[in-house]
Amino acid sequence: MSEPLLRVVDLQTWFQVSGMTAKAVSGVSLEVRAGEVLGIVGESGSGKSVTALSFIRLIPDPPGRIVAGEVWFKGRDLLKLPWDEVRKVRGREIGMIFQEPMTSLNPVFTIGMQVMEPLLFHYDLSRDEAWERAVQALDGVGIPDARARMGDYPHQFSGGMRQRVMIAMAMICDPAILIADEPTTALDVTIQAQVMELMLDLHRRRDGAAVVLITHDLAVIAETCSRVLVMYGGKVQEEAEVVELFERPLHPYTKGLMDSIPHVQDKGKRLATIRGNVPSIFDLPEGCKFCTRCPVVEPRCWTEEPPLREVAPGHRVRCHLVPGTPA
Amino acid sequence: MGAYFARRFLLMIPTFIGITFLVFTVTRFVPGGPIEQMILQIEMGGQAGEGGAGAAADATTGQGARIPPKVMAELEKRFGFDKPLPLAYLSWLGDVVTGDLGESYKYSIPVIRLVISKFPVSIYFGLIGFTLAYLVCVPLGVMKAIKHGSPFDIVSSFTVFIGYSIPGWALGTLLLVYFGGGTFLDWIPLGGFRSKNWAELSAGAKVLDQLHHTIAPILCYAIGSFATLTVLMKNSLMENLGQDYVRSAFAKGLPEKRVIFVHALRNSLIPVCTGLGHALGLIMAGSYLIEYTFNIDGLGYLGYTSVVERDYAVVMGVLVINTALVLFGNVMSDVLYVLVDPRIRFT
Repeated sequence: MSEPLLRVVDLQTWFQVSGMTAKAVSGVSLEVRAGEVLGIVGESGSGKSVTALSFIRLIPDPPGRIVAGEVWFKGRDLLKLPWDEVRKVRGREIGMIFQEPMTSLNPVFTIGMQVMEPLLFHYDLSRDEAWERAVQALDGVGIPDARARMGDYPHQFSGGMRQRVMIAMAMICDPAILIADEPTTALDVTIQAQVMELMLDLHRRRDGAAVVLITHDLAVIAETCSRVLVMYGGKVQEEAEVVELFERPLHPYTKGLMDSIPHVQDKGKRLATIRGNVPSIFDLPEGCKFCTRCPVVEPRCWTEEPPLREVAPGHRVRCHLVPGTPA
Repeated sequence: MGAYFARRFLLMIPTFIGITFLVFTVTRFVPGGPIEQMILQIEMGGQAGEGGAGAAADATTGQGARIPPKVMAELEKRFGFDKPLPLAYLSWLGDVVTGDLGESYKYSIPVIRLVISKFPVSIYFGLIGFTLAYLVCVPLGVMKAIKHGSPFDIVSSFTVFIGYSIPGWALGTLLLVYFGGGTFLDWIPLGGFRSKNWAELSAGAKVLDQLHHTIAPILCYAIGSFATLTVLMKNSLMENLGQDYVRSAFAKGLPEKRVIFVHALRNSLIPVCTGLGHALGLIMAGSYLIEYTFNIDGLGYLGYTSVVERDYAVVMGVLVINTALVLFGNVMSDVLYVLVDPRIRFT
């Protein structure tokens, strides 16, 4: 296997809130490979967004801080780079799309200015060239009459159209990695499919680029991703190819997530849920992070955190009860 | 949009009527009005030797006995007191519409001329104080937001709030006592707009003299607005720095300066900017007490003395100007809203 585009080693991102420490991300290691769509799935507060934001050091400090870890990208550890170098990676090599298209664009600047801005700051382009490129980018994401709409403000666009603008803006420098943090959560269902399709379409047209898709929606993962990380309590609990994960989920948490997807044939039956609530991020259990809600919990789960073990090629899981493959 | 502003301008009329009618009514019922003062004068002239206090007391109780009814009726007619209140107000309003604000009973010249002659002084102090406040507060607020929680932030907050808690005229009195050349230091003149011999000074000395007379009053003008404006600016910027679009801007790889001073600042200037029209209207009208403290012969001073001396034509005249300025300032604020925030379109 070729060298991954991005390799994260033991990332720790903590938040300091009123004297307490929240270990939002505690020891995440992962790889983003060229050409893939990597899904990161988990509940709210599982640390999936913070993980992605940490890649390009977008954690607001204070209260957040990346305490430890390495993020290797093109032979450099992004966490150790000077700010000016990190800035050059942001938007140019790693682009990002956020959940809220309504608030993620600056309300007082035109769409055109905002879309061409990354070009102006990353490349030595004239305003006219950048303008033309921005028109093309907007056209490419399916904004009708793109040239005329360059001078419009965000409030003159619908939610779906704004998310298209966000995509155009994030991709205008042709980044190697696009991080999409719940890109369709705030949109209508019909629009969700369109925007997701647009993103994947743009992805397919570009060789060797990768998408990191953060979502809590397993259906989206199933349709779009090639590989999946399941996060819980600030840690990766399970990692597998998408087909493998859906056919053979191993971690009790992953199984719980799968069971809580409603199926048409189960109409009228009570939907399976994972009992309990996500534990407070300030007070995570010492052992397995899922032990407070796990249906098959054992005494040792409370005290001893299981390691992330590879149980089949490419399939890793963090659970005491899953029999490991002989070394 | 045009219709909206037409409506706003039309709405100024009932507001204007409301304010002036209220004050007009008050002037009718406050004791010590022009008629009573006239009576006092007449009586003082006629019966010298009687105590002033006694005369004042008698004037209100037993006036009919000493003033002939004919003179009384004439007096009432002169001040419009012969008509019932609504009619008197309407007749006053009718005069205002034609640009006639009446005649000052103290100076015996048309109020409109009086007001116009005092206006430049108030505009001078108003505009300088206003500009100074914005020039200091906007950068200060921005710096405080960026260095939120730092010693600089805490010390400057402490300072501006001390300033906020001191009324301008009180500070003025303090400045005059300590720096006005009395018992302590002699740094500032005791008051006035310029020195008495200003006309004879050379051009450079004129400017210096003017500045010399400006510093202390301006400080008093601006000190109260420092806190509100600085904190408004700081909070507004802080709030915007936490917005999603700021994160987007950082994610695009923009330099921090660009994110803060272009993306966040432009948004956070919206509330500061729209207060501008309102503040301008207020400040141009002059400050009664600060002008009085520094003996500056402006609109505020005129307003103050006319109230004390019950020169009602002038009181109403100054009120008309102030009301018009404030109402106009409010519409200006709306215009500024449209200019700085593309989301706002009044219909």
